[in-house]
Amino acid sequence: MADCNPAEPKNTICLRLTVAVGSCDVEEDVSEMEEHKSRLAYTFYMLTLFLFGCVLFIVGFFPASYTTTDAERESTIPNGWPIKMYGKKITPPPASYDAFVLFLIDALRDDFPTETNMPVSYEKACIKLNLHVDIPTVTMPRLKSMTTGTLSNFIDIALNVGSIEQLEDSLLHRLRDRDAVVSFAGDHTWLKLFPSEFTRAAANNDSFYVNDFYNGDKLVTSALEEELEKADWKLLILHYLGLDHIGHVEGNESPKIPHKLREMDQAVQKIIEHKNMQNYLMLLTGDHGMADGGGHGGNTPAETSVPLYLFSKNCSKPTTVTKRYNQIDLAPTLAVLLSVEIPTMSIGCLIPEMLQSLTLEQQLYAYFYNAHHLLNRARVKFGHEVVHRSDYYHWYQNATLLHKDLLDPLREGDGSSASQVHYQNAKLNYMRVAREISGLLSESLVKFDYGFIAMGLVLTTAAALHLALSVLFTDVANEQLQLQSLKKAQLLLSLVIGATLNIFAHALDVIMTSTLLLKLILMLLLVAAIYLSFDVVLTFIKIALPPIYTRRLKISIPLPVPLLVCFAIRVLTLGSSSFIEFEYLTWYYLGNTLLLLTTFRTLRRRITKANEELDGRHLYKIASVCLWQQRKIFVVLLLLILMRHTYGLQAIKSTLMVFALMLFWARLRKFHTNLQAIFCGIAFLLVYTFRGLNQQVQFFTLSEQLAARLVLPVLVLFWCCFALVLVLGYRAALPQQQSSTDLLNLEARPTSALLRLLQTNLSCSLILTALMFKVQNIVLLPTLLITLDETYKLCEAYGTSARKFSVRLVHVYKIIMTIFVGRMFFFYQGNSNSLSTIDLTPGYIGQTSYDPNVVSIFVSLNTFSADIHSFLYLIVHTLRANLKSVGIMQLQPPYAKAADTLVAPLYAALLLLPVAFYLCLMLGFRYHLFIYSVFSPKVVYDCYTVFVFFFVFLITSLYFKLFKNDA
Amino acid sequence: MVSRFDQKKTKHQLFHVSISLATILICMTYMQYRRNWSHLGSFWDSLIVPIVFTGELLKVILARFFGRIEDGVLTAKQRQKKAAYFTPRELLGGLTLQFLCTLLYGFICIILGAPVLANYEQTFVLSLLMTLLTVSPTVFLLGGGGALQVCFCENPDFVTKCEDTALHLFKYNALGGILGAWAGSVVAPLDWGRDWQVYPIPNVIGALLGSALGNIYACTHVLYTCGRVYMSKKRT
Repeated sequence: MADCNPAEPKNTICLRLTVAVGSCDVEEDVSEMEEHKSRLAYTFYMLTLFLFGCVLFIVGFFPASYTTTDAERESTIPNGWPIKMYGKKITPPPASYDAFVLFLIDALRDDFPTETNMPVSYEKACIKLNLHVDIPTVTMPRLKSMTTGTLSNFIDIALNVGSIEQLEDSLLHRLRDRDAVVSFAGDHTWLKLFPSEFTRAAANNDSFYVNDFYNGDKLVTSALEEELEKADWKLLILHYLGLDHIGHVEGNESPKIPHKLREMDQAVQKIIEHKNMQNYLMLLTGDHGMADGGGHGGNTPAETSVPLYLFSKNCSKPTTVTKRYNQIDLAPTLAVLLSVEIPTMSIGCLIPEMLQSLTLEQQLYAYFYNAHHLLNRARVKFGHEVVHRSDYYHWYQNATLLHKDLLDPLREGDGSSASQVHYQNAKLNYMRVAREISGLLSESLVKFDYGFIAMGLVLTTAAALHLALSVLFTDVANEQLQLQSLKKAQLLLSLVIGATLNIFAHALDVIMTSTLLLKLILMLLLVAAIYLSFDVVLTFIKIALPPIYTRRLKISIPLPVPLLVCFAIRVLTLGSSSFIEFEYLTWYYLGNTLLLLTTFRTLRRRITKANEELDGRHLYKIASVCLWQQRKIFVVLLLLILMRHTYGLQAIKSTLMVFALMLFWARLRKFHTNLQAIFCGIAFLLVYTFRGLNQQVQFFTLSEQLAARLVLPVLVLFWCCFALVLVLGYRAALPQQQSSTDLLNLEARPTSALLRLLQTNLSCSLILTALMFKVQNIVLLPTLLITLDETYKLCEAYGTSARKFSVRLVHVYKIIMTIFVGRMFFFYQGNSNSLSTIDLTPGYIGQTSYDPNVVSIFVSLNTFSADIHSFLYLIVHTLRANLKSVGIMQLQPPYAKAADTLVAPLYAALLLLPVAFYLCLMLGFRYHLFIYSVFSPKVVYDCYTVFVFFFVFLITSLYFKLFKNDA
Repeated sequence: MVSRFDQKKTKHQLFHVSISLATILICMTYMQYRRNWSHLGSFWDSLIVPIVFTGELLKVILARFFGRIEDGVLTAKQRQKKAAYFTPRELLGGLTLQFLCTLLYGFICIILGAPVLANYEQTFVLSLLMTLLTVSPTVFLLGGGGALQVCFCENPDFVTKCEDTALHLFKYNALGGILGAWAGSVVAPLDWGRDWQVYPIPNVIGALLGSALGNIYACTHVLYTCGRVYMSKKRT
């Protein structure tokens, strides 16, 4: 602690300081020495229940699909073309073009097609429109919207990668019913949605393999050439993925993007200049935009705005329309143009600019048809009564009356001004009806399943509170509160209540499940929720009304005010959408505040102590010595400032990476034996080589072919080194035959097997992360370790400078600091609460195809690396720490033992409480304007964070169970 | 129970608090007069720093004025301290201390998220204001060395009774200022799009409001003590 250099003149002061620090009182409650029962199993159960609660909540909050319910399907309202109006016959318009091309470029954002990037498209487009895309801005829900005209569910984003339900009705279904030839080439998500609707399909094998920039698109273009020769199709859908992949891997500023856009432009040119293309309509659009980082999935204007360019042979003059339409408007408009029925679930309006090729009568019919369709949807949704009393119904009636009167003049081609006025009037009325109903229907699509939500909330809140209470009242939790033992009577009671509730809920249709197994699982969860709630309520009562007033239950964990205030602020800011969008600001601010506050308080206490002892003389010297002792924490604070600006360090990223890897190696050195250190060094060299071969850092200039061929061996070698580090670590830790050398080793390092195994795990996972991380982010890894190390030292110094030393105070400080530091680094890395910042590239390192398991593991490890590693580091630190350095020798065993009795449960409780609170907030915010754009992604992040923690916790506690007694 | 009602001390306290509150009020009036708050971060254009400086000086003069009366009953140490107040060494020490504190506050501002490579002037003004609110009064009152000793000593023996009263009130002022400036950042992430959300305006205003609140708290404390003495007197 005290940096005493005998050569220095400040020697005397220095020595005295050490004495002053070392002589602090060591007062320990007896109870702290007892109670070393491991709480890992209990914490594990609580975490499991919490996760189940999260799942229930999510199921209730984001109902899995919006398909027609039985009631809606059986309704008597006719569906299809209306053919009569007040007795007069009306006919649907025939298809206005012979061929339709839907040219879809994934992630084509609004500012991409410019005069320089896509000259042909820009020049030749008849009409340029702008479409608004709904969230979630990922491919699968967008395709659904475009073909069915419905909004999609937020949780579809999860299904985007996973399984997909097939649609029941869409434009393509209608086309198939009419035996029209529909051809397709591109993203194979289409085939999952429409397995049998295409006449011909040439899909990419692997749409999620983001390292493929060109091959997939080449295949699409060659398929396009074949189709152009055949020219027998009614609708051709092309879906190019390359642009999206470039965005994911290299960002929206990548030099490859203009190049890619030019390639797309050439494909467009091929279509519009082909001899077989005579009477055609081509739509060039994107399924969603691209965020400024290159990803998508969020709610920024760059992601939710896409261009729509229309091409046809006989266009009068190019126009640009500034008005924005919705992406769901495409479905009914295309249906009218293709002359098929509007898909049943469609709630879009028509886009007037696209109907200009129709005659006036046909246009009016189209408006009438869509308004009629929407009115029927409204009838199904809100009931006949409500619809008949509404404004839009009157508008509709006005419009149809005018329409009827207009039918004859229009057919005769009467262009009198009166009929013109009537025509405009009818058209505006129809459009107004459509817009009104469309708005109403999209609002009413939200349907919450309150049964599941309530169960989820009760379960999460009860589990979080239970865990928190049991940790806070550690010393009395077992005897007086009986939190951790299973009470049979209470269980039986909750079983009865749970069963009754379950039966009633099912009978009243509050909860609907499909299978018996689900019912049973649900009942178990219900019972658990009731049991836990009983416990929590009883505990609260016991705390509030102690049986004997003098024996009031005391909180056994010290809760320092600053920590509590920071934690409370962090929890309360969850209620504001701005604070969620800029959550990183909260963490940086509070984390740094805590560090600064602790530093200054420690400094002040130490200086005061020394000053008192030296009776006010040499104050300047004391102050400077104490400041010098704390110099490292100031270095850490400077580093933390620097970390905020890692993105500004692009220019020196090669140097930075070399420096970071060396620093990292030196940091990991203390976990490694010599042999391990060598392999670790080689692994880092290979990481640099890998980045060099990908041309992300300075490296020998190699030909591209050679570089591509070298990537695989480099990665294989890396994995070999990684495996060697792992195996060597385990071999050193696990007990073997007692040979003389081993005995010597054991004497040399009396650490337990458990500690060594956990260290090996930590360092291996860190080495792996070094491979995953972006180049400029690698510097975060050593900085994280340094920051945690110095923070822990600071906490120890703070604890010992207090008047009454308490080990638990040090623990609490360390745990909360770990959470704050971990979160700060989570955001330093470039993460946010928007789904568009998830970096998908690490999932594909060394992969040649899309494997969901590998990708999800790698991406999770990359995204949550800060949280995972700070928790692991905390455990390892707790196990290896000795307070010798701060002058307290005798406390070493209980200190290390706290790892599984206090540290892990308290960490878990502090992680769960805000999440449970946030879920409750979500229920209150369910009609908030930003619920799906800001609050919902945060729920996904939060639940996933708990899941990742659960996983890490599970593995760690398994090691504790298996190896704890080997020490 | 308060054994003896110290009339002089209470007078001092009340005068002191009134000066603080008046300073803040003048600042607020000035801000209201200027309407546009964007100049608050500039050094030459804003009058906040001079106003606060004058206010703090006035408080020190007040403490000196009240301290003059008890000149006769000083201990040797206190006398020695008093004599050394205007020596160049003390003056220089005081200035250095304030300068260092300004630097430290600037450093803290940057750690807590102020721009590193821009807005130097704003950061400087904010840290100057913080120094004026926290460290300067003590330095003006006791000199550089004295201020340090007060900071790092449980019960310094060279402080006269009157100075102690002032120091006690300075503490509220300083704590309120720090907390206010710290809490002022809360408006930064909000999406209201107001022009006063720009750094350092919320922090400057927060510091002023915080110190006002601190002073109001101190004032209520003093008044409460007065009231209690009054009540007990009445009863007896």
